[in-house]
Amino acid sequence: MKIGPLNIPIKEDFSLKSIFGFEKTPLNIFLAVSVLAMLVMFGIGVTTYLTYGHHAYGVTRQHPWGLLIAVYIFFVVSSTGFCIVGSLGDVFGFKRFEMISKRAIFGSIVTILSGFAVIAFEIGHPVTMLIYNVLTPGLTSAIWWMGTLYGLYLTFMIIEFYFLLNNDMKKAKIFGLTGLLVGLAAHSNLGGVFGFLNARTISNGVYYPTYFILTAFITGIYLSFIVMGFRYKLNFDEKVKDLLEGLAKIQGLLIAILFFFMSWKLLTDVYGGMPNRADVVHHMIHTAPFWAEVIFAMLIPFLVILKDFGKSPRLMVFASIIGMVGVFFMRYNLVHDTQVKPLQMMKITEYQLPPEWIEYFPSATEIMISLGGLGLCIALYYVGTKAFDLDESH
Amino acid sequence: MARYGMALDYKNCINCKACEVACKEENGVELGAEKHRIWVGGNNPDGQWPNLDIASAAFMPSQCQQCEDAPCQEVCPTHATYYDENRVVRVDAEKCILCSYCMNACPYDARYVDDRTMTIDKCTFCSDTRLARGETTTACQNTCPTKVRTFGDLDDPNSEISELLRTRDHFSLKAHLGTNPKLFYLT
Repeated sequence: MKIGPLNIPIKEDFSLKSIFGFEKTPLNIFLAVSVLAMLVMFGIGVTTYLTYGHHAYGVTRQHPWGLLIAVYIFFVVSSTGFCIVGSLGDVFGFKRFEMISKRAIFGSIVTILSGFAVIAFEIGHPVTMLIYNVLTPGLTSAIWWMGTLYGLYLTFMIIEFYFLLNNDMKKAKIFGLTGLLVGLAAHSNLGGVFGFLNARTISNGVYYPTYFILTAFITGIYLSFIVMGFRYKLNFDEKVKDLLEGLAKIQGLLIAILFFFMSWKLLTDVYGGMPNRADVVHHMIHTAPFWAEVIFAMLIPFLVILKDFGKSPRLMVFASIIGMVGVFFMRYNLVHDTQVKPLQMMKITEYQLPPEWIEYFPSATEIMISLGGLGLCIALYYVGTKAFDLDESH
Repeated sequence: MARYGMALDYKNCINCKACEVACKEENGVELGAEKHRIWVGGNNPDGQWPNLDIASAAFMPSQCQQCEDAPCQEVCPTHATYYDENRVVRVDAEKCILCSYCMNACPYDARYVDDRTMTIDKCTFCSDTRLARGETTTACQNTCPTKVRTFGDLDDPNSEISELLRTRDHFSLKAHLGTNPKLFYLT
C-alpha cells in the first residue's frame, strides 16, 4: 500500500497499466468491450440530449417520467442496498458480514454516482436545481428531501469509506450509522415522491416509502453476490461461503416478506375496487414487464434459496444476476404504472385519441444513456478494485 | 389583492375553440396540440345510433383549476411554483428545474413543457398579460361568444362571479382530492 493524496491508502501497483492489465480471458474481454461500448453510448446519448433536449426522449405531456427516472431509481436503490449490507458488519457488528463492508460501501458510492450521472440528463436544469435547492427550498416536496438527503448520504458514505480504508473502525462506525440513517430517510422519501401523488391513485399512500426500503435490502444482497462472485471468480473459501450463506438466508426471508407485501398490495388494489387503482392493476398484471419483475426479481432467486437454504453460493450468483434484471423491471414498472392511467380531463377528440392507457416506450437516446450509466458504474467499480484494497483488513 | 376564480357555464359551450386560440395568441403559447394552457373537452354521446343521448355529449372547457391547495405547488422542490398575490398558481421559470414532478402531481393535466424556456408552463389567468395591463378579463373569457366564462374576485361579494356562485348550483372537478379548485362549473 502507498499513501495517496489526503492520506488515502492506494494499492502499490495502481496505474493505467494495472487497469488495462487484466487477465485476457474471453469473459473479461467481453466485459471490457461491453463497458467501453456502454460508455460510448453514454457519450452519444448525452450529445443527442444536449442537442435536442427532451425531444430526444420518448416522454410526453401525459407520461413525463420515462426510463431515465426508472434507471435513476434503480441505481439509488442499489446504493441504499449496498449501504445496508455494508452496515451489517461495520455498523451493527455482525462479524460474519464484516468482510464485505468495505466493498459494499464502495459499491454504494459508485452506484449513487452513476444514478446522479443519469438523472443529470433527465432534470432539465441541474445547475438551477443546485442553486435553488439551497436558496428557496421546497420543504413540502419529497423530491427536495430525497435529493438533499442523498447528497448528504453520499458525503457520509465517502467519509465512511475513507475511515474504512484507514482501518479507523470507530469513526467508520459513526459515519456509517449516520450515513445509513440518512440514506434510509432519503430512500423512503424517494418512495414518498410516488406516495404523495394523490392524482395517481395506484401509487398514492404509504406503500412505496416502506417497500423501497425492503427492496433496497434485497437489491443490496443481489449485488453483494454479484461482486463477491467476480471477486472470487466463483471459487469461494469457507469464510466467504459462510458470509454468502448468511446473506442468502436473509434474502430468502426478505423475498418472502416482499411476496407478502406485493400480494396484499395487489389484492387490496384489485378487490378494493377503487377506480384508477383496480383497473390499473388489472392492466398491469397483463403486461410482460410485470411478470418479468415477479419471475426474475422474486421467484427464481427465491426457489434457488429454497433449494438448499442458501447453501449454493455459485448458483446464487447467477440467480442474483437474474434478480437484478428483475429489479430493473421493478423500477420501470413503478414509474410506468404510476402514469399509465390517463387523467380523464375529457381531452378526447382533439388532443388525444381516446386512450384507455397511455403508451410509452423509451427512445434510443434514453436507452443509450441508461446503458451508459451501467457502463459508468461497472467502470468506476472496476477502477476502485484496482485502486483500493476492498477486502477485509486484518 | 384579490382571490381570482372562474365560473364556467359549460352547457353554453359550442366548442368553437375561440378561447384556445385567444389564449395562445394573448399569452404567446407555443403552437402544437400538446402545448396548451386551456382546452375544450368533449364527451362522445352515450348510446347507439339512433338512440343517442345528446345531453351526454356536453363540451367541457377546462384549464388549470387554480387550486387553493395545489398539489403542484406542494411538490415543487425549488418553490418555482408559487401562489402570487392574487392566489393565482404561477411558475417562476427562473427557478424551475424541469423535474416534471408537478406534471405528475397535477390531477388535471394542466401543465406542459415550454420548449423555448425548457420549463413548465400553465394557465396564469392572463396575470402577466391582460391583468398586468389593467384589464379585468382573461383572453378566454373576453373572446367567448356564448359567455361561458366569468372571471373575477371571489373575495368581492359584489363581483359577478360571487353573484353567480351564490345563485347557481355548481361543482368542481375532482373535488374529492381536496385540492379546492377555484374553477366552478355551473349547472
